[in-house]
Amino acid sequence: MQLLTVLIVALGAAACARPLAPVLGRMTGVVLALVPFALFVYFLSQLGAVAGGNALIETLSWAPSLGVDIGFRLDGFSLLFALLITGIGTLVVIYAGAYYAEKPASEGGRFIAFILMFMTAMLGTVLADDLIVMFVFWEATSLISFALIGFDARTYEARRAALQSLLVTGGGGLALFAGILLIGAELGTFSFSEVALRADELVASPLMPAILVLVLVGAFTKSAQVPFQFWLPNAMAAPTPASAYLHSATMVKLGVYLLARFDEIFASVPAFGTTLVIAGSLTMLVAAFEALRATGYKAVLAQSTVASLGILVMLIGLDGEVARVATIGFIIAHAFYKAALFFCAGTVIHATGIAGLRRLGGLARFLPFTAAAAVLASLSMAGLPPFAGFIAKEFLFEAQLESGWSVVPIAIAVIVNAVMVAVAGVVALKPFFVKPERDVKLKHGETAGMLAGPFVLALGGIAMGIAPNTMMRSLVEPAASALGGERVDVSISLWHGLTPMLALSAAVVTIGALVFFNWRTIHVTLRRQRLIHDLFGDRGYQKVLDFVLDMAQASTRFLQNGDQHRYTAVVLASAVFIVAFGVIVGSGMSGFSAVGEMNVPVLIVLAVAVVGGFAAVGSRSLIAAVVAVGIVGFAAAIIFMLNGAPDLALTQFSAEVLLVLILTAVLMRIPTSREQSRTIGERRFDLMLSVAFGIVIFVGVASMTSSPLDMRLSEFFAQSSYVDAFGRNVVNVILVDYRAIDTLGEIAVVGFAAIGVWALLRRLPARKKGS
Amino acid sequence: MPSVILATMARPFWVIMLAASVYILLRGHNEPGGGFVGGLMAAAAFAMLAFANGVDAARRALYFHPVVLVGAGVLAAIVSGIPGLFTTGSFLTHLWPEVAGIKLGTTILFDIGVYLVVLGGVLCLILRLYEDDDE
Repeated sequence: MQLLTVLIVALGAAACARPLAPVLGRMTGVVLALVPFALFVYFLSQLGAVAGGNALIETLSWAPSLGVDIGFRLDGFSLLFALLITGIGTLVVIYAGAYYAEKPASEGGRFIAFILMFMTAMLGTVLADDLIVMFVFWEATSLISFALIGFDARTYEARRAALQSLLVTGGGGLALFAGILLIGAELGTFSFSEVALRADELVASPLMPAILVLVLVGAFTKSAQVPFQFWLPNAMAAPTPASAYLHSATMVKLGVYLLARFDEIFASVPAFGTTLVIAGSLTMLVAAFEALRATGYKAVLAQSTVASLGILVMLIGLDGEVARVATIGFIIAHAFYKAALFFCAGTVIHATGIAGLRRLGGLARFLPFTAAAAVLASLSMAGLPPFAGFIAKEFLFEAQLESGWSVVPIAIAVIVNAVMVAVAGVVALKPFFVKPERDVKLKHGETAGMLAGPFVLALGGIAMGIAPNTMMRSLVEPAASALGGERVDVSISLWHGLTPMLALSAAVVTIGALVFFNWRTIHVTLRRQRLIHDLFGDRGYQKVLDFVLDMAQASTRFLQNGDQHRYTAVVLASAVFIVAFGVIVGSGMSGFSAVGEMNVPVLIVLAVAVVGGFAAVGSRSLIAAVVAVGIVGFAAAIIFMLNGAPDLALTQFSAEVLLVLILTAVLMRIPTSREQSRTIGERRFDLMLSVAFGIVIFVGVASMTSSPLDMRLSEFFAQSSYVDAFGRNVVNVILVDYRAIDTLGEIAVVGFAAIGVWALLRRLPARKKGS
Repeated sequence: MPSVILATMARPFWVIMLAASVYILLRGHNEPGGGFVGGLMAAAAFAMLAFANGVDAARRALYFHPVVLVGAGVLAAIVSGIPGLFTTGSFLTHLWPEVAGIKLGTTILFDIGVYLVVLGGVLCLILRLYEDDDE
């Protein structure tokens, strides 16, 4: 149960982070980073186990009646993700420790707890073999992303962005869930391995189009593809370490992960690849356009992340081994350089408190190491040799050239990659080297903890570029084999002659340089262009959200208008209608039969109840009316007692006492004498409704008691209650033993309701004075 | 506002009602009673105290915050189900171990949970409602 242990360890670390933070102080980040690091080492040791397309499989029975098992599967592709998650997770935790060093320990501890919790959910998603288990973890990542984007909950922007990302990714998650359920309904299994084996059956099913659309919606929302891409740039409201981790390196790649997994299954559906290529290309274009328009440091990076996700989606849409290798290579290269750049952006924003690129400049003097790391990472992003990004881009072009697609996607890829080159230049040079004379007041400097992350990642990018075959054999080959189902053999070098790919690369760098040097002009021109921005922005989302809120408001105003008379009337009228309908249409009345003798004690009690009823109606004082209603209740309790239901009677007595006490407390707050606020017509209607209600209840009860009673259950409980459950009070035994889980649910509901009432009845300080 | 007689007798009544509520809770498995009725009765005891001697007196007598009682009650009910998980493999299967000759079922813990939830829940309402505005 190694993989389950991994998840438990990660979750345990998350649980400890907050309580440990005040104890560890400044060491919090470094000490807690040991956990993800240990997991990283564990996953590294598994590299041999998955080589050549093998997989580590673990299954635990969870809900066999639903066909759901806790199944985990570690193959080359999930191992790659697990390494990225734990490796970058280690750096993020260290960085977050330094980032929150000046803040109260509780805040940093809380943040790291969320990060580690997220790491657990992320590992669970990529390790799960069962689709239901995967979905549970998938939704957990959305929820934690919500908490992290809204981490600074005092700002409106953060709250809005958090809600938006939750609605978009959570909504997509529901679509995915529906897709998973359809797959389960079709194949009778939720095991991913088995679904992959029976792909033919699935593709032949009539449900296939629905499944395809639902899975695509799930993946596109998570991985920010057009038309759902708007949430990701807004998610930059999250603290920067979270942006580096969730919104560039790991979580947003889950959609890509899912598509890559399903690629094998959907391979024979032509619509799948086509959709991916078109959606990916469109996303790339929109994101490139937005990246040129964006002004914030993190906003530019976010848009380039969206573009990269578009590239990945397009690559999955292409067929063939090269496309698979390109996908995996790009995932690795992108995770390295983008996380590093986010770290650098975080350091800059942390140090200056300025988020806009236009107001930044000349920081190389103050943050020299951060500047160096940013340059190294951006060279990889620009796809220059000898960095990993260069190799990834070569593969991208090779995959495109090999595919049967027209030149359009290639042209788009060239343009978008050129914009990425320009973006790389802007984010690495502008804040640090442009306008060196600019004097900036720094709030904080760069610390070792804030440099570890960007440097490890930037240097890793070079190492992979210089010795690409090590990376290829240990990481890319097993991952590509796991995706394709067949063994993939890749061997590459940095230089492989004058190829078309190299020519395209050269074109990209040339155009990119041109864009970079004309950044200002292009930026200003594009900012005037609002059409595309409006078309692909979050206006649609806002419209839908507003519509739903308006609907909710309108229906609330209609149903909950604050008039108690109306509520009561609705409830009584519905009850009258339903019972009358049942009596007339249903089995009909079995006729009343007043069998038996006149029971004098019952008659006396009933007479008291009737007097109470009249007193309640006639009383002018509300308190007197409440007491009179209480008399009716007590009479009912006495009748229960006379008929051999002492438990019911006891409860009725207690409830009646409390009802009178509570109502009295309420009535003490309002004028005690009734004012007549109802018109004659309204009162006539009330009278008719009350009479109808009384008649219907009378008819219902009378026909119920005159029909024969089924005694089987009563006999069963009477006989077995002492034997099975050692209790002679059948009512109590049913409550605490036979149906204990129902009772547990009920007391939980009572508890929640009580806490809600407690909160609602709280007097606000401002209202105290007024009353 | 409350009469002297009520104010004086509230304490003794409170003790008697509370004792009765516990008695009803404990005998519930074999005789009429149980956690729900017991809880209602105990809540009535505290409500009477609040009515006669003021909300603060009732709060002091209660010692715990009503919301804490609600949580403790739900927790007790959940905990009572856990031993069953390890013996027969089913949550909330109650056990009856014999301690010093008396059969002590996990049901009693469950019923205490019900008692606490009802007591705390009702008091959430009552204590709030009896509070004076100028407090």
